[in-house]
Amino acid sequence: MSLVRWNPARDLAAWPSDLFGMQREINRMFNNIFRGSEEGEEYALASWTPAVDITEHDDKYTVKVELPGVNKDEVKITVESNMLTIRGEKKQEKETKKENYHRVERSYGSFQRSFTLPTAILNDKIDAAFKDGVLTVQVPKAEEAKPKQIEVKVK
Amino acid sequence: MENNKKNTALVRACCNAVVPGAEGYEMVVCPAADIYETSDAFIVEIDMPGASKESISITADARMLSVSSLQMINDSGGGEIIVNEIGKKKYHREFRLGTGIKLDDIRAEYKDGVLLITLPKADELKARQIRIQ
Repeated sequence: MSLVRWNPARDLAAWPSDLFGMQREINRMFNNIFRGSEEGEEYALASWTPAVDITEHDDKYTVKVELPGVNKDEVKITVESNMLTIRGEKKQEKETKKENYHRVERSYGSFQRSFTLPTAILNDKIDAAFKDGVLTVQVPKAEEAKPKQIEVKVK
Repeated sequence: MENNKKNTALVRACCNAVVPGAEGYEMVVCPAADIYETSDAFIVEIDMPGASKESISITADARMLSVSSLQMINDSGGGEIIVNEIGKKKYHREFRLGTGIKLDDIRAEYKDGVLLITLPKADELKARQIRIQ
């Protein structure tokens, strides 16, 4: 299982408001030290990295991505062999002048996350839905990747 | 002008926390917010992805605007969680209010994971044209 690029600057900037993220990154660094850098990692030029949850089921993977305020037409989901990529852009729509801003903490601009899924997936049956700023992508596993039960008769 | 300056100090220090809750520990996340001002209002936009409109509560008194959500249900549907960055959490954040906000006219809307709160300025904060005699 591999995740996308790691941007240390982003996490330092977020500290200490994002201690959980920091812990995540530390875990990740240790993983990389002991296992070596994982293949499938992508170091793309994206200006922010949305948080994700991935759940594995017998027949599919469910990928949830936090994309508050992102227009669904600005999100692109692609699959290349086993690598699922979710990318897009969050545009700042308001025409408010910069000097009228007191604080800007939310992320804008392009984002990207890629995951190499451990098993073969059905590219053409991927389904995605947007609700309350969370994108949920259902990625069905290919038939050969599903666990099979074989009954053995005991004589 | 002085009044206006006070209002710009809308924000309180904000950090995530783990607190004891009903079922073990709960993660309380401080959501990111943008604050800007128009000629007749202060606008606070808060990223609260995953929260449902019904789970969000907003309170305001003369000093503080407080926004929170109930703990989100993160149903894995019996599957095995392999990446867990979102997790189970709830949002909470407070904003200090200056004088000159019409508390009774505060409005809020929630769309696509973003909560937008409009804090209308009292008349004394609004810019006005002054005619030369």
